[in-house]
Amino acid sequence: MSIRIETIRECLEGVIPGHIATCDSDGMPNLAYLSQVQFIDNEHVALSYQFFNCTRQNVLAGSLVRLLLTDHRTGAQYRLRLEYLRTETAGPLFEQMKAKLAGIASHTGMSDVFRLLGSDVYRIRDIEHVPGAALPPPLPPVNYLTALRRATQRLSSCSNLESLLEAAMNSLAEEFGIDHVMLLMHDQAYGRLYTLASRGYPESGIGSEIPIGAGVIGICAREISPIRIGFMTSEYSYGRSVRDSIEAEGRVDGLESAIPLPGLPEARSQLAVPVAAFGHLLGVLYVESVDDLHFGYDDEDALVAFAAQLALSIYHHQHVAEQTEDVSSSSAEAPAAAGPALSVRHFAANDSIFIDDDYLIKGVAGAILWALLTDFVERRRTEFTNKGLRVDSRIRLPGVSDNLEARLVLLQRRLDERAAGIRLTRTGRGRFSLTVDHPLQLVSG
Amino acid sequence: MIDSQTAAFIQTGVSISVAACGADRLPSMSRGMGCRASDNGNEVRVFVKRSQAAELIENIRYSARVASVFSLPSTNRTIQLKGSDARMEAFDAADLAVIEEHIVLFLEQVVPLGIPEGVVRVILAYTVDDLVTVVYTPSAAFSQTPGPKAGKPLD
Repeated sequence: MSIRIETIRECLEGVIPGHIATCDSDGMPNLAYLSQVQFIDNEHVALSYQFFNCTRQNVLAGSLVRLLLTDHRTGAQYRLRLEYLRTETAGPLFEQMKAKLAGIASHTGMSDVFRLLGSDVYRIRDIEHVPGAALPPPLPPVNYLTALRRATQRLSSCSNLESLLEAAMNSLAEEFGIDHVMLLMHDQAYGRLYTLASRGYPESGIGSEIPIGAGVIGICAREISPIRIGFMTSEYSYGRSVRDSIEAEGRVDGLESAIPLPGLPEARSQLAVPVAAFGHLLGVLYVESVDDLHFGYDDEDALVAFAAQLALSIYHHQHVAEQTEDVSSSSAEAPAAAGPALSVRHFAANDSIFIDDDYLIKGVAGAILWALLTDFVERRRTEFTNKGLRVDSRIRLPGVSDNLEARLVLLQRRLDERAAGIRLTRTGRGRFSLTVDHPLQLVSG
Repeated sequence: MIDSQTAAFIQTGVSISVAACGADRLPSMSRGMGCRASDNGNEVRVFVKRSQAAELIENIRYSARVASVFSLPSTNRTIQLKGSDARMEAFDAADLAVIEEHIVLFLEQVVPLGIPEGVVRVILAYTVDDLVTVVYTPSAAFSQTPGPKAGKPLD
C-alpha cells in the first residue's frame, strides 16, 4: 500500500464530508455523503451506519466501496478502496464513533437526525492520492514525540504519588500546551470516578465525582477506550450526563454532589483517555478546549501513551506505599494546641465530614480522616501508616484494589484547599503525619 | 427528466460528485466542478477534471451508468440523480462561466462553515484543457437529505 492511512487521518474528522460510492448488482452506481470515518489501524477503518439506505443495501450485497476523502487543511484528496467486514453495535469502537458523531451532528445542525446504528468495519485495500494541487499542511502545535519523551521523563523521576500528580499536570501544560486538564481516579467499589488533580480551572474540583458511563469521561472509563469529540454537543456535557444517569438508574448511591466538577462550561473539544495498567482501570485523564477540533488523532495517540506511562507510575507508587514502610523518624506526641476549638462533625451514614459546619468530604476519605482525628484527640497520635489504615476496621476500605494512596492524596488536597489548620504530610514511603493547629472538638452525627 | 426546481437546485453552491462502476463493479468517483441542466431538465452536464477522473471516465465509457450527488452545505439538502446513457464530451469553453459562478456560490456556502477560502480554491482549481464534461439524461432522482426520507425518490 503506497499511502498509510495513519498519515492522512486529518481527512477522517468529518470537516469536509467524505463521499462513498457503491455499486448494485446491475452495475448501477450509488453515491452518498459520509459524516464520519473512524481510524482503527493501518488496515482498517469504520464508517458510521445511520440509515438503512441504498449504500448499505449495496454493501451488504457484496459491493466494493470507494471513498473520496478531502483534507480540510490542505485540500488534498484521496480515494480509498474498501472491503466490508462486519458491523459492531456496542463496545469501544461504537462508543468512540457515537460520541464523535454527536459532535458532528451538533455542528451541522443534525442533532435530531444523526443516530449511530452501527460501526461498519472495512479493510483498506488501497489508498490513492488524487492528482491535484494542495496547500502545505499547517505546522503542528507541538512535536508530539518530543513532548511525550519529555513528559514521560518527568513522570519517571517522581518519588511518590503526590509529586507524580504534580508532574503529570505540569507536563501536560508545559510539554503539550494543554490548558485544561483533570485526572479522575476509578472507585471500583462504587462505580464512579473522583477528581484527584486538575489544572486550568477557577476551582480545582478535587473530590468531585462522576458515575461510570456518564459523559465523555464516564464512557471512556466504562469502555476503557479513548473518547474524543471535536465539536460542542450538549449530549455529552457533564451536567446533562450526570443528571441523565441519576434519572436512568435512580439516585446514584452517595454520589458526591456538594463538590462541583471542574470543567469548561462551553467546551467544544473534549478528549478522555483511560489510565489503565495490567488490565485494570485506574482512572481517566481528561483534557478539553473551547476551540473546535482542538484535539486530533495525534493528540489522542500522545495522551494515550502518556496515560499508559502515568498508569504504570501510579501503580508503582501505590504498590510501594502499601508494601514498604520507612522507619518512623519521630514518635513524638502532638503538642497541645491553643486558641478557639475547631468543630469537626462526622455523619456515620455516609462518612461525611464537616469542619465548622462547612462540608469537607465523605466516603472512604471521610472515614480515614475521622479515624485519624479520633486517634489524635484520644491518644495525641500524629504518625500513621498506609498498612495501618488498610487493616483499620473503622475505615472499611473496599478492597486491595482500592487506591488507598490516591484517597490519602485526595484527603490531603481537600484539607489544604480548606486551609482549616488540619494537614497531612507524607513523611516516608507508606507513612504520613497529621498536624492540627487548633484544639479539636469532635462531634458524631 | 428533472423539474425546474431540482434543476435550479443543482446549479446553486452545491458540492458535486459523480460516480460510475467498472466491469468488476468497482465504483470510482470524482468531484464535479459545476453543472448545467439543459433541455428542460432532460440533460445534465457535470464538469470534471480529466486528471482526477481517469477511472471514472473509463467506467462511464464502459457502462454509461452514472450517479451524481448534489448537496448544499448550509442546509444539508442533498439530491442524487442517476442516468443510464452517460457519455463523455469535450468541455465547451462557453461553460467556463458556469464553473466560475459555481466556485463563487460554493465559497459563499462553505466559508461561513469554517473552511478556509484558500482550501476551497485549491480543491476547485483547474486548467481549461483539463476539463471534460459528463452528459446524461437523469432517469431517477432521490432525496438524500439526512433523515427518515433519505433514499426516497423525489416527489
